[in-house]
Amino acid sequence: MANYRIRPATPDDCADILRLIKELAKYEEMEDQVILTEKDLLEDGFGEHPFYHCLVAEVAKELQTSEGATVVGFAMYYFTYDPWIGKLLYLEDFFVMQEFRGYGMGSEILKRLSQVAVRSRCNSMHFLVAEWNKPSIEFYTKRGASDLSTEEGWRLFKIDKNYLVKMASEE
Amino acid sequence: MDYIIRDAKPEDCVEIMRLITELAEYEKLPEQVQLDAEGLREDGFGTTNPFYKCLVAELTSGHKTKEGHTLVAYAMYYFTYSTWLGRSIYVEDIYVMPECRAKGIGHGLLQKIAKIAVEQKCKYLQLVVLDWNKLATEFYIRRGCTDLTTKEGWSLFRFELDALNKLAEGDDRN
Repeated sequence: MANYRIRPATPDDCADILRLIKELAKYEEMEDQVILTEKDLLEDGFGEHPFYHCLVAEVAKELQTSEGATVVGFAMYYFTYDPWIGKLLYLEDFFVMQEFRGYGMGSEILKRLSQVAVRSRCNSMHFLVAEWNKPSIEFYTKRGASDLSTEEGWRLFKIDKNYLVKMASEE
Repeated sequence: MDYIIRDAKPEDCVEIMRLITELAEYEKLPEQVQLDAEGLREDGFGTTNPFYKCLVAELTSGHKTKEGHTLVAYAMYYFTYSTWLGRSIYVEDIYVMPECRAKGIGHGLLQKIAKIAVEQKCKYLQLVVLDWNKLATEFYIRRGCTDLTTKEGWSLFRFELDALNKLAEGDDRN
């Protein structure tokens, strides 16, 4: 089956993107953590200063899912900055529906992302992978990615909104 | 020591580059700095969608550092996005020159970013810290930070430029 195309998302894709986000969250056992809505995706992705960009994988109508969907994969990315090397492309999420795997869609999406990165004169692409996610780790390391947490000792930290509000309102 | 915290301006880029290089030396990775002041200026001020935002701390009332500088700290941040929660903010760097520490500058910079995050309806702030950097780790943990690498097992991965070029040209390793 090769009847698919990878294209930039349009505002009409927001419902499908949210559906796929929830499917990926389910796979990561974090489904109840998705509070993002279609309205958020629309405002934040297609306004004057987009917070993110998205590629989608779309199959031909005759290959649609049992629920009638033709958008079967997505990759969400945005541009970030490293003060040592400059522009980077940050891959936030990347997912292809289970029943559409093994046809090269994932590789094709990654290739398109790399082209975006090179065209935008980014010096590298960064992303996070959960340590237990062996299939993803293999997918990326096979294609030349390095694990900076292991190699250089970087740890990811987070400050949640309640602490941000606390700090923001201090004298 | 009097100082103000303000948004960076294009003409600050030479000084910010000096501070970036100092921080890279402290992190024991100075050979990795390839950016210059011109690139920094172009990417932060020369485009309608800047790639980063920057705050600086500037000494006032005639105060200067031992070497005669007035720009003594910077904080670089940008907006990011979470597919679960939406808008978020990422702190790329916070650095205060050693001779100006313990005066509340670091806290002032993080607090200003926290205010921006809340104003822009961000759900959280993220950053990375090197595992040996106890000072930085303590600074953030004291202010409510959680270590997600430990707690949830996240690792940071990177594709360098040569790997990106290979991927872009379709050198599949399937």
